Amino acid sequence: VQGNQRRYSTRRRNCGRVTLLHHVSGSAAATATAPWIPASGSLRHVAAGSTVPPRDLYGTTDTYRLFPTRRRRRRPRHLCSAPPPAVSSGQLLIPRAAPAARMAFARWVPGPSRPVLFFLLKTLPLLVLLTFSSAAPPAASSPAAVHNNNWAVLVCTSRFWFNYRHMANTLSLYRTVKRLGIPDERIILMLADDMACNPRNNYPAQVFNNENHQLNLYGDNVEVDYRGYEVTVENFLRVLTGRHESAVPRSKRLLSDEGSHILLYMTGHGGDEFLKFQDNEELQSHDLADAVKQMKEKHRFKELLIMVDTCQAATLFSQLQSPGVLAIGSSMKGENSYSHHLDSDIGVSVVDRFTFHTLAFFEKLNMYSNASLNSLFNSYDPSMLLSTAYYRMDLYKRALNEVPVTNFFGSVMKTIHTDSAYTGFLAAHNAETPLPIGNDIVDDVMLQNEASARRSNIEETKEAQLRSHGWTEALLEQLEGKNSDVVVMYGLGTMGILLAISTWLSM
Amino acid sequence: MEIRHYWSMAVAAVGFRLVLVLFGGDLHLASRPEVSTPLTSLRRLAEGYWLKQVSMSPYSGSMYHGSPLLLSVLGPLTSKRSGGHHSHIYCSLVFVAVDFIAAMLIRSTGRTLQMARNRSLKSLDLTKSVNNSVNVSAGDTASLIYLWNPWTIITCVGSCTSPIENLMVVIMLHGACSRLAPLAAFGYVMATHLSLYPAILILPVALLLGYGPDTPPTKVFLQKGLSANKIDMSDNGKGTSQKGFGQFSWKPILHFILWVFIWSCYVLSLNSIILNKVGGLQEMFEKTYGFILTVKDLSPNIGVLWYFFAEVFDFFRSFFLIVFNMNIIFMVLPLAIRLKHRPCFLAFVYTAIVAMLKSYPSAGDSALYLGLLGLFANELAEMQFTFFLFFGYIGVSLLSPVMHNLWIWRVSLSLYLYLYLYLSLSLSTHTCCVLLLT
Repeated sequence: VQGNQRRYSTRRRNCGRVTLLHHVSGSAAATATAPWIPASGSLRHVAAGSTVPPRDLYGTTDTYRLFPTRRRRRRPRHLCSAPPPAVSSGQLLIPRAAPAARMAFARWVPGPSRPVLFFLLKTLPLLVLLTFSSAAPPAASSPAAVHNNNWAVLVCTSRFWFNYRHMANTLSLYRTVKRLGIPDERIILMLADDMACNPRNNYPAQVFNNENHQLNLYGDNVEVDYRGYEVTVENFLRVLTGRHESAVPRSKRLLSDEGSHILLYMTGHGGDEFLKFQDNEELQSHDLADAVKQMKEKHRFKELLIMVDTCQAATLFSQLQSPGVLAIGSSMKGENSYSHHLDSDIGVSVVDRFTFHTLAFFEKLNMYSNASLNSLFNSYDPSMLLSTAYYRMDLYKRALNEVPVTNFFGSVMKTIHTDSAYTGFLAAHNAETPLPIGNDIVDDVMLQNEASARRSNIEETKEAQLRSHGWTEALLEQLEGKNSDVVVMYGLGTMGILLAISTWLSM
Repeated sequence: MEIRHYWSMAVAAVGFRLVLVLFGGDLHLASRPEVSTPLTSLRRLAEGYWLKQVSMSPYSGSMYHGSPLLLSVLGPLTSKRSGGHHSHIYCSLVFVAVDFIAAMLIRSTGRTLQMARNRSLKSLDLTKSVNNSVNVSAGDTASLIYLWNPWTIITCVGSCTSPIENLMVVIMLHGACSRLAPLAAFGYVMATHLSLYPAILILPVALLLGYGPDTPPTKVFLQKGLSANKIDMSDNGKGTSQKGFGQFSWKPILHFILWVFIWSCYVLSLNSIILNKVGGLQEMFEKTYGFILTVKDLSPNIGVLWYFFAEVFDFFRSFFLIVFNMNIIFMVLPLAIRLKHRPCFLAFVYTAIVAMLKSYPSAGDSALYLGLLGLFANELAEMQFTFFLFFGYIGVSLLSPVMHNLWIWRVSLSLYLYLYLYLSLSLSTHTCCVLLLT
């Protein structure tokens, strides 16, 4: 929190600064200065003279910050407790050990020319990582975890009055998701939250998504988890990956597990492969892809639906590679997403087209509907949206017409009734003496009776008595061994038979 | 005189219950205090069954206070779930069948009674008056009353085990009226085992087995016998039956006692097998009979003395328990002396008293004695004030849930006190007027 406050003061001073984009055209120099940038080659051109963002502790490029290097914050060491993600699919993530190794290596080895040195330094951690990854056991995907909870992360990345519609979008989705069953505990709502009580709002403490003002989205049942200046790329990625400081309360964490379905909805201003956060920062597509990959490796979701309502939205998830992710954006590369209508009372547009049509689809549903994702995706009409809603399902293995929308937008579970609800408590059965043993005893008795029949009468009777005693004991033991329920059932049956016979006899 | 359409009405009653059982899931009769008591509630039985399944004593937690045999029979049925229907549906179906069997047994008891009555009246040369007076078939009437009685229907549909207890009492009466000692003994042992109070019915059962079914007072027979002896000896043709009229034969009683012994040993051994590892018979007696007698559970019921139990000082509680139980015991002997020639009616009066004065009465007890009331329709035909009593009874019965609602949900005055005072008063006036007849 302190860091955020400092950021706030920094932001004030830095407001209106040009957003920072990096582009590496494969030159070694650029990678040399920023070894933590993944060498995927999808970065933008670096504005000359711009500052390089400081390294993060876990060696991943999860945030671009605008602070000059002198404002680099020291993060406590314990944030490193999470294991570094394993390397996969060719994307390189250089671990933290690299700089120390690099510096040690630099100090230790004088001599060889610099480019060669740096090349060696680049490859060395690579080799180390490769060995680690091969040595480590393959990431065992948990065997088909059952879907048992739904989460929603709803992010509005805009602030200021003229971006009213983005907040209305997010609040509409929030309302829909709550209506269909996801409780506040499993919704992470990130809003700038400066519309409802904005002095320019004619309807204080009310937010509408339609000019008929029928629905107040900002009632008394709205729980915003990240508001105002807490809506940052850093916090967003922390929410997704689950790497928070220890003081962050549970209500601000995404506590999903391998059985979760997560709905991630983002709205705001975006462009080709980026999404603008609060007019201040950017989230790039590979950041999002990287965060999703971390989530997948940490088993933080079973299935993920990403819904983006910005201009050129489909580019934001172009870098995704994790299985189990479904993504839909409101427009394709080169297209804008448009607002739906202008509310003359409020003075600004109140809802975007894509979200408007999404809501139109959902308002017809309730918790018990089983409309499929396919019908949702097919309901987007390009002529109404004035853009092409593009969705990406190559990473999603299930057929869309089999998946109900409530798998993501609601919280309807399939419950299985079992009769044996308390099997965990069943008492240990007594050691069951199997019947053959009893038969053996009976056989034994028979044999011994036959044997004793050859002896004298007294002995015979005595022995018969003894044997019969042993026999009753054996019977009692058998009784204990068997399930007493069966014995009781037999007893009741015998009682009924005895009753019938005796009644018939005495008639 | 047979009742027309008897079978169609009987089957219609069973069909009505089936409809209520299958489609009446919203009735929630099991949560009403008139229907389910701590002794008879089926939810408590399900709890006791689960406790037994995890090899704890079914009586732990003071939830279940019934017989272990019921646990074995009904327990597995309570845990079966059928999709779409409310729980305990299989048990309700069992209870419908049980009610039907009880109604059939009442019918045959009524037939026996009627035959005995006709015989006795014929031996008294009163056949003309028999034909003049009301002569409905008592058995049919009684069984139809039993089947169509709202109390019985509510008990049957309402997930409580009273139908089984009623069936045992009816078995006992049937066996006694037909002089089948094993059957009577079985009914007696099971009824006493399931709920303690039918134990007092040993007197009418013994009288029934000894004397035979209801007969006019022996004085009449003695007079008749004297005059018959004077007039002609043709009565000797009915001599054996005449002997049976006035004399008490011990043989059936001995049979009965023997069979009671056999059945009780059997039942107790079965119970000890069931409760083998979890407390044994002593706990069973403590928790069933002890519970009935010491009245530990003070949730509201439609009993007469419930309110007093709630208000009595703890210091006087044991004294009050003695008074409470003596209340029933003191009524046993005088009534037996007065009604010894009408043991079936005596049994009916005992059930009515027990229904009023037992520690946890419910609608099931009322169902039983109202059903048995029908057996004496012929004798009661000349009762006075029937209109007043009948509609008073109905009015009080209807007021009872209303007052319960007022008391518990809307927290008005404690009208419950007034309610069951009315109820008990009506029951007692009913019984008294019935007794007026004898």
